[in-house]
This record gives sequence, structure tokens and C-alpha cells, in this order.
Amino acid sequence: MTTIKEYHNNISPNWCPGCGHFSVLRALQVAAVKLQIPNEKLTVVSGIGCSGRFSGYVNAYSFHGIHGRSLPIAQGIKVANKELTVVAAGGDGDGFAIGLSHTLHAIRRNINITYLVLNNQIYGLTKGHTSPLSDIGTQTKSTPTGSLETPIKPGIIALANGISFLAQGFSVYQEQLVNIIIKAIQHDGFSMVNIFSPCVTYNKTNTYQWFRKHLVNLEEVQGYQTENFETAMNKLIETDGLCTGVVYQNSNSTSYLNKLSQNGLTPAMDTSLPLTRGDFEEIINLYR
Amino acid sequence: MKKSISLLIGGVQGEGIISTGINLMKALSSLGYYTYGGRSFSSRIKGGNTSITVHIGIECKMWINDEVDIIFAFDNDTIYKYAHLIHKNGLIFYDSILTPELHRNDKDNIKFVPLPISEMAKNNGVEIIKNTCAMGFLGYLLGITRETLHEVTIKRFKQKGLEIIKNNINVLKDVYQYSEKNLKAYNTFTLTPTSIVKRPLMTGNDAISLGALMAGCRFIASYPITPASEIMENLGKLLPKYGGTMIQVEDEIAAVNMIIGGSYGGVRSMTATSGPGISLMMEGIGLAGMTETPIVIINSQRVGPSTGLPTKHEQSDLFTLYFGGHGEYPSIILTPSTVEECFNATIRGFNLAETYQCPVIILSDLALSLTPQTIEALDFSKVEINRGKIYTPTESDEYKRYQLTNDYISYRALPGTRGGIHHTTGLEHNEMGLPTDDPLNRKKMMNKRFKKIEPLQLGEEIIIHKNNSHVLVLSFGSTYGVIKGAMKSIKTPVDFGFIQMIKPLPIKQLQGIIESYKHIIIVENNYCKQFATILKSELGNHDKIHSLIKYDGTPFTLKEIITEIGGWVN
Ligand SMILES: Cc1ncc(C[n+]2csc(CCOP(=O)(O)OP(=O)(O)O)c2C)c(N)n1
Ligand code: SF4
Repeated sequence: MTTIKEYHNNISPNWCPGCGHFSVLRALQVAAVKLQIPNEKLTVVSGIGCSGRFSGYVNAYSFHGIHGRSLPIAQGIKVANKELTVVAAGGDGDGFAIGLSHTLHAIRRNINITYLVLNNQIYGLTKGHTSPLSDIGTQTKSTPTGSLETPIKPGIIALANGISFLAQGFSVYQEQLVNIIIKAIQHDGFSMVNIFSPCVTYNKTNTYQWFRKHLVNLEEVQGYQTENFETAMNKLIETDGLCTGVVYQNSNSTSYLNKLSQNGLTPAMDTSLPLTRGDFEEIINLYR
Repeated sequence: MKKSISLLIGGVQGEGIISTGINLMKALSSLGYYTYGGRSFSSRIKGGNTSITVHIGIECKMWINDEVDIIFAFDNDTIYKYAHLIHKNGLIFYDSILTPELHRNDKDNIKFVPLPISEMAKNNGVEIIKNTCAMGFLGYLLGITRETLHEVTIKRFKQKGLEIIKNNINVLKDVYQYSEKNLKAYNTFTLTPTSIVKRPLMTGNDAISLGALMAGCRFIASYPITPASEIMENLGKLLPKYGGTMIQVEDEIAAVNMIIGGSYGGVRSMTATSGPGISLMMEGIGLAGMTETPIVIINSQRVGPSTGLPTKHEQSDLFTLYFGGHGEYPSIILTPSTVEECFNATIRGFNLAETYQCPVIILSDLALSLTPQTIEALDFSKVEINRGKIYTPTESDEYKRYQLTNDYISYRALPGTRGGIHHTTGLEHNEMGLPTDDPLNRKKMMNKRFKKIEPLQLGEEIIIHKNNSHVLVLSFGSTYGVIKGAMKSIKTPVDFGFIQMIKPLPIKQLQGIIESYKHIIIVENNYCKQFATILKSELGNHDKIHSLIKYDGTPFTLKEIITEIGGWVN
């Protein structure tokens, strides 16, 4: 039995006391224990930001890459070894500013990895700059008179782009978050969990109290069907994205690598290295 | 009878001009002749004139003559643009439906011969058969039997069905009958017979793709770009058959990061690009350097900066790759000069990447990557795979990903391996892989990363053809071919050679070379004398190192090399 202790690596996070990221970390560790994933079979990839340090605190294979690129790295790892559980994590800047294009393409590609967005609607690590997810009017070091730009709606663009699993969580709602992460990992395809994870130091607007007040729990919405694309989209519009729970899941989803296998093709790791002389000659003959 | 012939086939882009040339080259290569095809093309896909110049001979030749013996024109433009290249006893074939202006210098003995290409094609079905028609006429002229062309045609159209094969075979029959009647007078263009050796026809990009496959590369993530796209296209076809995946990704940033993931995950991974892509990859290449993750990047150079001349030749990314990326990290740059070397260098590149755990760049150039040519059989028995230090679990010791060892190289634990769990980060880190800003550790780790590739400086990476001269002409990439040709054509040739690895520089060998020559002339296609500048900065001896450069988007011609190098001989 793996216990939560085995998912700690005895390094204390350098996050500010009260930062939402602590609880997200714990939720992943609990989910991994509940799923009984052996430590060496879990790979956690993260970008750069306060959230980027995430991977460094899990006792698993962990890769802390560069700003905005956790998803390409994570997809590469999964292609190389599909036996691994691959989880990518990063901030809202990481995934929706510098890395937005990778997010959209990871959604389209549907490689079987899980993406945790540690969303605090601000740049924590650079000490409080605006994020593309900051609300209009948010005052930061780079928006002294308040943010003028319309915030990106992560849930809506993910849905619109054809995501096969979308959930949202709140770092405080531990039990729900753990369950969501478990479902995300079990999903055959790209799963994104947008997690409200307050930055207590730089975001004075979107605070714990603020989220408690505004968030709608989809599990408490009578008759909410996670399989229905239209309801999901409407719910996101209705709540202005401020809801938690599984928003949408296409349980018929087949991940990229499994699609390849269905077409009789072998994804990377499945084959031993060398080709025979016969194979070689056959290929050379194409050029004669 | 001719030992060698140059011919130019030209017509409207998108009408199969290039494939006519390629198919003729394949036929000749399978008969024991050597061919080399220079392409000129614009970024336009359809419309506009395109041409391929094919050199054919009984000896290997890796450059295009300044003059051509035969022009085969599918459109007026070809004659208009290239008639001045024709040799004074040359022959211009053109489709009889064209009305070209046919005068040139009266003294010359150039023959203009109309051929009923369109007419014959129409009689045998479809317009596109014009290409088979042209191949037939050229084949007849060069003395290739109709049976040989049948073989090529059947192979080419195998997938298209019997009807198409039949039409093409029929048109060949018509062409040979017509030629027997009307073209006998031109039998001076028949090729000297040679012993039959079936050699392959490949481009550098083909050889790189095949090298990667043989090296055990099973993952390529790439974004299309001239002149590198063929590598992802080839591997996209080949890899799934042998267990592997090609993904066309959203951009080059994704490409480099995805192969970092692939390689970290345990599979030999690569990407292929050109200058603009390299610019986007720089941060990722640094990440591979810092995390000691092996990756292989093919950079097929074209004219920069920005979009420059995207379909033209240059060798100007050397500075970027030699010095480039922010911060300092080790990397290896291999510089193949021939198609065969593209194959070998790619295999070697994967071995070096995993042995030294750092990024390896295979630096090609447009001429090398795209020029189809007859090559010697690639050697299967030379394929060796060395995956470097990979951790296998042991009971006793504690695993340290970046353990300081005698050779500065540590064991890589692939995810999934028990007992190998560790953290990998682009931040400076300690032996365990954990971030730290301790100055002492920083120094140790910098030393580790740089010292591990130092042994490579002791290698013999410069291959020299000796002619007993005190002058050495040195190049990298495709330029070697035309230099070799020039040395064959001048009375007192000088020593000449090419370098296979520019980074790290083979310092020991270079020091010996600097001592033994009076003058070293570096030939390269860029403005800033990039290779010469690097050599001077590492070796001093500014007075001995000279430059011959060209930066107009075209490779050196034989004449240019002969004229320029000639001055040094006297
Ligand atoms: C290419 C590049 N540009 C800029 C930076 C500086 N930088 C580091 S983290 C960051 C943004 C962090 O915000 P977010 O991703 O939301 O994560 P958080 O710190 O809020 O968890 C920036 C701009 C960088 N590391 N790399
Ligand atoms: S700055 Fe904000 S995001 Fe960063 S650790 Fe502190 S609270 Fe968390």
C-alpha cells in the first residue's frame, strides 16, 4: 500500500503561508494514493512560476521545465512511455499567456495526460503582474490603473476547442478536488482541471472569501449532466466560469496513442531498438 | 560517347518537371552511372518556371557544371532563361508546340530540335504523360534501353494501376520509334557504358531520415519548413511501421520541448527545422543542456535572417548555434558534407547525444538537404547504437541523477525505473537534481557540464585530401563537393578537406594543421566568415586563416572556386 507519506519528498515548499498551491499539491498526492500509482510510475511536469515549483514537491519523477512549456514536455513523455501516469501543472500565466497555444493544441491532440491549472489570476512569481485571466479593473504592478483587457475564459475556450474532459476545482474544496483529479487521471484523453488557487500575497480581489461567495458547486446542481456539451457551455456562461466539479466529459473519448494503436500503428516505446538488415535493404530499395 | 553529360530540364512549376529529372536519375543510378541534380525553385507551388540540372557521369561528381550539354524545354521560359548556359556543341530539345526565339551566336553549333511531346502525350491518353515522353527522349539520347525505362515506369506507377502503366509504356514505344527515325544523328550524346551497380538516389534529407531510423530514433516532433520538411515526412511514413511516432506540432517551441520529454521518457527523439525554427528553439535547447537531456536537432540552413530567401542556400546559422542560447551550456554540432555522411552523422549524433547527455545539432544546408544524387550503398554493418549511461536499479547505493564522476557523466534514470526517482529542473541544481543557488555547487555543476564533452576536442574530425601543398582549403557542409571538383580540374591542386564536427572544435588536430600549412582558406556561404571567425578565436593565427565567402543565395560554382583558389596556388 502506498500512503500519502510516500508521496512527500520532505522538501518544504517555498510558497507563502496560505497560498492555494499547498492544497492542490496535497490533492494530487491523495489522488495518487487513492489510485495506488507506484511512485516511479507517476511523472509530474511543471512550468515556471510559483506554481512551477509544484513538481519539485512530489516524490515521483518530476520535471520542472521552462515557462509555458509543461504541456509539450508532458506529451513527449507520454508518447515515449504510455505506461506512465503523466500530470502537468502550471499557473494561469504559464498555460494561458505564454503557453496558450500549447494548451489549445494539447486539447486537440488528446494525448492521455492530466493538466492541473493552478489559477490565481495573477503572476505570483514575478511579484504581482497582471495575468490574461485577471478580471477587468484588477490593479497590479503592470496595470496601475486597473486591467483593461478582457480576461480569457479558460473553461469556455477549452470546451469550444473540443476538450474531452474539463473540470474545475477550488483548492479549499479538498474532497471534491481529489475526486476530480482521480477522474481526470482515469479519463482516456487530455484532461484539464482548472483550479482556483488563491494568491494571498498579490491578488487582493480574488480571495478565499471571494471564491466561497461566488463559486457554484455543480454537484449540487440538480440534474447536471457532465456528458452534455451544451449544458456545460451554458453553465460556464451562466456562472461566468465560477463553478466547480466535472464540467464536461466525453466518455467515448479515445486518446491519441490509443487511436494510433487502433489503426494498427505502434506508438514509440513498444518496439525494441534495432532494425534487421532485411528492413534496411527494403527501405534502401525505395530509393532505387 | 560521353563520360559525362549535364542536362537541364525546365518547365512550368507543378507539372512534374522535377520528378521527370528524378526518375531519369533513378534509372541511370540503377545502371551504374552517377547523377547529381541541382534544383532551382521558387516558393510558388504552381506556375513560374522551374528546372532541374542533372549531371550524369561514370564518376561521382557533387557539383553542377557551369555549362550544360542538353536543355530540355517544356516552356519558352526555360529557353529564354537558360539558353546562355548551353555548351557550344549543345542541343536544345523543346516541345514542338512551343515557339521559342531560336537565335544565339551564329558561330556556335547549337542545335534546336523540336520534339512532338505534347502531341504524343495526347495520342496516349493524358497530358501528364509528357513527362514519360521526355524521359523517353532523353533516355534514347543517352543510350538507355527501352526495357530499362519500362522497369522504372512500372515501379513508378505501380500504385496507379494497370491502365496508367499501359499508357506510359505505349508512349515510350512511340518515343523510341520516333527517335530511331529522327534522332540517330545525335548519337554523340550516348553515355560511355559502365559496369552495372545498382546505387540508390538520395538527398541529404533522405539520408538523415534513414540514419535516424537506423539509430533507433522512434519519435520526431516537427513543424514544417523548407528545406527540412522531408525529414518529418519521411519519418512520418517510416516510423509507424517500425514502432514510432511522428507528430506535426504547433510550432518549433513545442517541437523541441516535446522531444525533450520524449528523450527524458526513454525514447531517442529528434526534430528537424531550419533557421527560423532554430531561433524559436533556443530556450528549449538550453533546457536540454541544463538538464543534460539528450536531443538531436537537424538544422537544414537556408538564407536568413527572418524569412530571408526561404528556398535558397546559405550556411549562416553557425554563430547562433555555436555561441547561442542564453547562458552557457554544452552542445555538439556535427557537419556532414555528403549525403553518405548525413546518414553516418545522424547515427553518430544520437550516440553522442546519449553518451554526453546534451543537445546535438546536425548542421545541414539547403544544397545538401535537397540535392538528389547517386550515392554509394549505405553500410548496414556500420550501424552501432550506444545509449550511454542508463541507470539500472541496484540494492545498495543511493541514486543521484547528477552525481559527480570521473568523466563528469552521470547515470540517467528513465521514468518508470524503481529507485531512480529524482527531480529534473532548468534551475541550477545539486547532484540530487534539487535547486540550489550555492556558489560552490554552481561552479561544480558548470564544470561538470562543460568538462564532460572535453574529450571530443581530441578527436580527428577533419578529413584531408593531400596534394602535397602548403595551402589547405577547408569547408563544412555541401561546399566540399564543388571544392573537390575544382581540385580535380586544376593543374596544381592544393590540399582540401572538410570538418565533421565544429563543436567542440577538434582543437588538437587543428593545432597540428595550423602548424603544417602556410595558408588555410575557409570556404563558406555567409557574409560574416562565421567558421573562419570561430577558428581564429580558438586558434589565433589570424594571418594564416583566409576566407572565401559567398552570400547571394546560391552555392559556389566550379568556376568561382577555381578562379579564387587558383590565386593561392601561384
Ligand atoms: C520566457 C520567460 N519569460 C518570462 C519569465 C518570467 N516569469 C516567470 S514566472 C512568470 C509568470 C508566473 O505566473 P503564473 O504562470 O500565473 O504562475 P504563478 O507564479 O502565479 O503561480 C513569468 C512571467 C520566464 N521565466 N521565462
Ligand atoms: S506569491 Fe502568491 S502564488 Fe506565489 S507563493 Fe505567494 S501566495 Fe502563492
